[in-house]
Amino acid sequence: MVLNFLYIFADDTTLFKKVLYEKKMKITVSINIGGMAFHIDEDAYTELKIYLRNLDRYFAKEPGSAEIMADIEARIADLLKARINDYKQVVTIQDVREVINTLGTPEDISDDSGSGHERLGSIGYHRMYRDPDNRIIAGVCSGMAAYWRIDPWIVRVIFIIISLPGGLGILIYVILWIVLPEAKTTAQKIEMKGEPVNIHNIKDSVKQEFDNVKEKMNL
Amino acid sequence: MNVENNKAQMRKGILEYCILLVISGNSCYASDIINKLKEARVIVVEGTLYPLLTRQKNAGLLSYRWEESSQGPPRKYYELTDQGREYLAELDKSWDELVESVKLIRKK
Repeated sequence: MVLNFLYIFADDTTLFKKVLYEKKMKITVSINIGGMAFHIDEDAYTELKIYLRNLDRYFAKEPGSAEIMADIEARIADLLKARINDYKQVVTIQDVREVINTLGTPEDISDDSGSGHERLGSIGYHRMYRDPDNRIIAGVCSGMAAYWRIDPWIVRVIFIIISLPGGLGILIYVILWIVLPEAKTTAQKIEMKGEPVNIHNIKDSVKQEFDNVKEKMNL
Repeated sequence: MNVENNKAQMRKGILEYCILLVISGNSCYASDIINKLKEARVIVVEGTLYPLLTRQKNAGLLSYRWEESSQGPPRKYYELTDQGREYLAELDKSWDELVESVKLIRKK
């Protein structure tokens, strides 16, 4: 799946007014799956991306995994294509979930093929990011704390202590500010905390984000 | 021992045989294979099929050709190789023997 570009999709066709009234305006991304282009909602994109990454990891030990993934992407393209038409041009999170149900998560596939070996949990990456949600300056300390699963104040106090004599801490802070990427997307925020990336915590996170946005916009 | 695990093992045992059976009828596109296997309730999720197809292809039992499609990118059509046919004949025989064995024991 290749991400091409990002743009705002403002749909104002009368046919969709009712739907839009409930859904407001959403950001869509344009992706290429199995050689076909799709417009897909951002949340649906995140879910699909994580799903593909988990599958990729599950099949990694198989010889010919690239071919397996290419076949699966072609099938996903088929299934998504059946879910869009002139009146519904954008792939939604619901579509993606249906496709995932049809194709199966790595756990389903492992069960289905009866391979006696252990159920493979989808293990997420664990990476250090800057945490914008709990930041004081740039989220360096809160990001490190999230990575090690400790209280951000422990990291902050350490930074303050090593900054006192000659400002070494400040230099380190600035370097980390430059080096560490900010956790912007839902998937990155989950990676930052090192939780296994699966549908449940994506759902939780996405919901949390929606609630945050709602609060901000007073909806 | 649990019965679900046992059932899954049985299904897995015949899954590869079923895939070869489906393909032996007519060269087919992955969706055709999926539909037939789902109809026969041999697989639950589609993702199970793809690694098996690739494995069988790498083992020389299957080959595929690309065919143009009016609805999108070209599709892979699978067919059995000669080696695949021999393999399938073996499995046919083995399946008949298994069914006979179970029948015989059930009768008593």
